[in-house]
Amino acid sequence: MSYSDRIRDVIEHSDVAIFMKGTPQFVMCGNSNRALQALRRAGAPVTAVDILPDPQIRQELSAISGWPTIPQVFVKGELVGGADIVEELEASGELEETLRDRLGGDYAGARDEKTISLV
Amino acid sequence: MRRLLERAFPDATELDVVDRTGGGDHFQVVVATPSFTGLTLVEQHRRVYDALSEPLGDGSIHELRIKTRGTP
Repeated sequence: MSYSDRIRDVIEHSDVAIFMKGTPQFVMCGNSNRALQALRRAGAPVTAVDILPDPQIRQELSAISGWPTIPQVFVKGELVGGADIVEELEASGELEETLRDRLGGDYAGARDEKTISLV
Repeated sequence: MRRLLERAFPDATELDVVDRTGGGDHFQVVVATPSFTGLTLVEQHRRVYDALSEPLGDGSIHELRIKTRGTP
C-alpha cells in the first residue's frame, strides 16, 4: 500500500486521528502537543501518526486533506482542524460535543491512545 | 503578510499580524470579517491559508497561528 492509501485508511477507520510531529510519548513540536493535550482533555480516543519519519507522508497527507500545516485532526473521517481550531473547540466545549455526537456518549470510556507507524 | 491579508479580506473589521518571536517567521494572525459568518472554522482557516499560500509555500513562514471569526 502507498502512503496515500494508508493515510486514507487511518483517516477513515479511526474515531479520532491526529497526524503529528513525533508520537504521544515523544512529541516533537509545540503545535502537535497543543492539539494532543486538547484532545486528551476532551477524553478523545486518539490514534496518532508520526509524519516525521518520511517527508513524503506529510506531502501526501496535505494533498489528501488540502490542509497545509501539521498537526491535522480528524474525527470519523472528517477534518476538524489544526492546533488552533482544536484548542478553540476544546475551550468552548464544542470538541466534546462533536465527539459525543459522532462517537456516542460513552466515547471517553475507552480512553485508549494508540500510535500507528506508516514506515 | 498584512498586505496579502488586506487584499484577501477587504471587509475585515479586525486584522492583525503579530511576529511572535521577533524572528520574522513565527506569526499569529487575527482576522474577523463578515465574509466568515456562517463558515466553519476549517473553512475560515482555509481562506487564511489560501491568502498566505505564497509565504507558506516558500517556507518564509515557519509557524502560523490563526484566530478567525465572522462578524455581523
